[in-house]
Amino acid sequence: MRSRLRVTPRGFSGPAVRFGVPAAALIVALMFGAIILTIAGNDPFEAYRTMFDASLNGWNAIARTLALATPLILTGLAAAVAFQMRVYNIGGEGQLYLGAIAASWVGLALPSTTPMVLTLAAMIVAGAIAGALWALLAAIPKAYFNADEIITTLMLNFVALSLMNWLIFGSRSFWRDPRRPVPGGKRLTENAIMPSISGRMHIGIIIAVVAAILLWWVLRKTSWGFQVRTIGDSPRAARYAGMSVRVKTMAVLALSGALAAIAGVTEVSGITKGLEPIALTTNIGFTGIIVAVVARSNPLGVVPVSVFLAAIATSGSRLQSIGINVQVVLLLQGLIFLTVTAGEFFVTNRVSLSGSVKAATADGPSEIAEATA
Amino acid sequence: MDGDLARLEVRGLTKLFYGVPAIDSVDFDLRGGEIHGLLGENGAGKSTLCSVLSGLYRPDSGTVSFDGNEVQFRSPQDASNHGIGMVYQHFRLVDSFTVAQNIVLGLHKSQRPRSMRQVESMVADLADEFGLHVDPTASIWQLSVGEQQRVEILKQLFRGARILILDEPTAVLAAQETDRLFEAVSTMVDKGHGVVLVSHKMAETMEYTDRITVLRRGKNAGSVATADSSPAEVARMMFGDSSAAERTRFDTAHDIGEPVLSLSGVSVTGDHGLVAVDNASLVVRRGEVVGVAGVAGNGQRELQEAIAGLRPLVSGSIEIDGVDCTSSGPKKTMRAGLAYVPEDRLGVGLAPGLPLEHNIALKSYDRAPHSRRGVLSNGEIEETMDRLVKDFDVRGNRRGMRVSLMSGGNLQKAILARELNEDHHVLLAAAPTRGLDMAAAEAVRSHIVDERADGRGVLVFSEDLDEIVHMSDVILVMFKGQIVGRFARDELDLDQIGLLMTGSGLATADTNGAA
Repeated sequence: MRSRLRVTPRGFSGPAVRFGVPAAALIVALMFGAIILTIAGNDPFEAYRTMFDASLNGWNAIARTLALATPLILTGLAAAVAFQMRVYNIGGEGQLYLGAIAASWVGLALPSTTPMVLTLAAMIVAGAIAGALWALLAAIPKAYFNADEIITTLMLNFVALSLMNWLIFGSRSFWRDPRRPVPGGKRLTENAIMPSISGRMHIGIIIAVVAAILLWWVLRKTSWGFQVRTIGDSPRAARYAGMSVRVKTMAVLALSGALAAIAGVTEVSGITKGLEPIALTTNIGFTGIIVAVVARSNPLGVVPVSVFLAAIATSGSRLQSIGINVQVVLLLQGLIFLTVTAGEFFVTNRVSLSGSVKAATADGPSEIAEATA
Repeated sequence: MDGDLARLEVRGLTKLFYGVPAIDSVDFDLRGGEIHGLLGENGAGKSTLCSVLSGLYRPDSGTVSFDGNEVQFRSPQDASNHGIGMVYQHFRLVDSFTVAQNIVLGLHKSQRPRSMRQVESMVADLADEFGLHVDPTASIWQLSVGEQQRVEILKQLFRGARILILDEPTAVLAAQETDRLFEAVSTMVDKGHGVVLVSHKMAETMEYTDRITVLRRGKNAGSVATADSSPAEVARMMFGDSSAAERTRFDTAHDIGEPVLSLSGVSVTGDHGLVAVDNASLVVRRGEVVGVAGVAGNGQRELQEAIAGLRPLVSGSIEIDGVDCTSSGPKKTMRAGLAYVPEDRLGVGLAPGLPLEHNIALKSYDRAPHSRRGVLSNGEIEETMDRLVKDFDVRGNRRGMRVSLMSGGNLQKAILARELNEDHHVLLAAAPTRGLDMAAAEAVRSHIVDERADGRGVLVFSEDLDEIVHMSDVILVMFKGQIVGRFARDELDLDQIGLLMTGSGLATADTNGAA
């Protein structure tokens, strides 16, 4: 009598499962993290308390965390909208640079007397368009020749990075401030800078949250979103129902690129206040992919997940100050990502232990693979 | 092993899937030195029987004896070690490996020579011996389909197979390659090997086999010596005798009106660029059910896709209710009034991972009442769903549950409900009752037949000849992409239809073409 694990699809999961499983995953991650911290010679309780203090305890800490969460929400949404259609945009990083380049160009080019609302709106629009066009460089080959977007969007990141570096370090471009001894971008004038709400936190957080709600609404409540969800589930069924998979592929990748680019706009306008390649290359685009995966591509889930990841990241420097290696922070982040994504399996499947092999094969689930082989 | 004839005996073999028998108490014998044809419609249980014999499935009851000893195969490898090899219709070869590498792939070190050079010369000898010529050093991607098939056969012979199961080996071959294949097969048989030939094709089965076993609905419908039998007898075994057609048929009293679907000279290519539908013409009129009989894979799916606008035409034209829908795309055929129940429910007809309400709105999401100005009205969609669920008796749905967890019968009713809920003039239904239990199948059939009472036309494709006879006013037969026979309800000849479905009896067919 061998026991065997039995896996049955749940079909649909109630809120207890949908929220309980990630919470349990988080606890598991923190427990593993505690073991690692102990091995590294640190007190895990002190470490976790420091993390909490640094990122969530008090208004200043929260403002720091939300400032970091702002671009993460946007790149997270960028990845999420593409994932909804099972298109994999790994190019959020490069699209973000393009958004930063375009927005800083508009911000620098417009006269400093232009009203702030107009300037910021123009910067967002310009950034979004640049990001969308950059994404289309991958979307069009995908739609017409089925070129793998994972490769093309990934490769375009390096092109975008080189472009941005060249503008500041390799040329005397419009963006570069000739007066500074160390190459850097021209500083944006006041009307092109997103006003601060508190400390580093600026109005970009509002833009990001509104974008999340809007995107959720578009995906859930409009016929356009209906098509995206259908294609994401079954391109053949979508074609059968008369939907154009090609047009939607391009539209969704363009939208994804635009969202990632807006993260570039908020960063360049609210944080770096000029095109600063070093300060802009902090893997926000790539982290957005992690955000989308953990949030299960749900736009509303992207917001708390971004805040959570930002909280872990902001506590990094404080942890170092109490003598914990920064690598441990990254390790914790990885652990949480791993457990939450692994938890996904338990959200969609019910796992139970069956008494014997016979029982498991007699009525089905484990035989599904066999029957369809 | 030469001269030592293999004997395979199967007694009372049963294999259940979800409690439903795919094969039911099947007896089957194979002797070394013979080619044994295994015939039957799709779903008759041929593949299941072969999969049990080759160790892929374990039977629920019954025995398999090999050379008089009862055997239980744990895996295909185990079956292969016993000397039973299967050649699948879809090859299992690694494209970038050479022939010799593929042949030894998966063999344990102790089962193969150490150097590839040695393998190559052994393969070359084996190829010579059986007339299966192929270069052992060539990569798979360089080979034609026929050559790849030879590699598959050589692979089994290399492993010492004395019984070879060939699953529809000629489906992928050109005529000349078919001849070469059977030359090789007869060499094997002369050397005492036993060969099971799984086939749909009457002509080749009659020509090459020594005996024929027919499976019908999971049961052995009889084994005959080929020489003592006739195509007509075998076709009767496959499709049932004429008496089955005498069972109650749907009422015929209804008015036939204008054509709602007309195809003239339609030709389309299949997924691999070969001709799939060849100059097909047909007409469906209001108040009429036209049934298309045929063994799967004779161009039915491609023809359906052409009608639905999913597959462009190479030549010919299609009209739906007077609107030209030639290569027009699915949107236009929907607007012209085509309701389409596709063969592949979960792959095409439904988005399997999404809930029922989404699938109910799959084609009407962009129109009132289900959406206005691009904004979905989820309340209206749910109302439609509730109404259809009630009218069509769709069960097993829970709010938010993905539809792939519903049973086949309920899925089919849901698709039918959605399609019939749209404004339409003609219903195209493919294999509408496949895999359904009796009650669900009957419900689906009566919904379909009710269509003609409302003055709509119906074109229904099915492999189940009884069902076609049961429902149709006009019966067409498809074979190799052509419509090879047309029978009005009162001039039905089941034997003749059975022969046409398997590609024989063409000469005497009543091919009036479309009326």
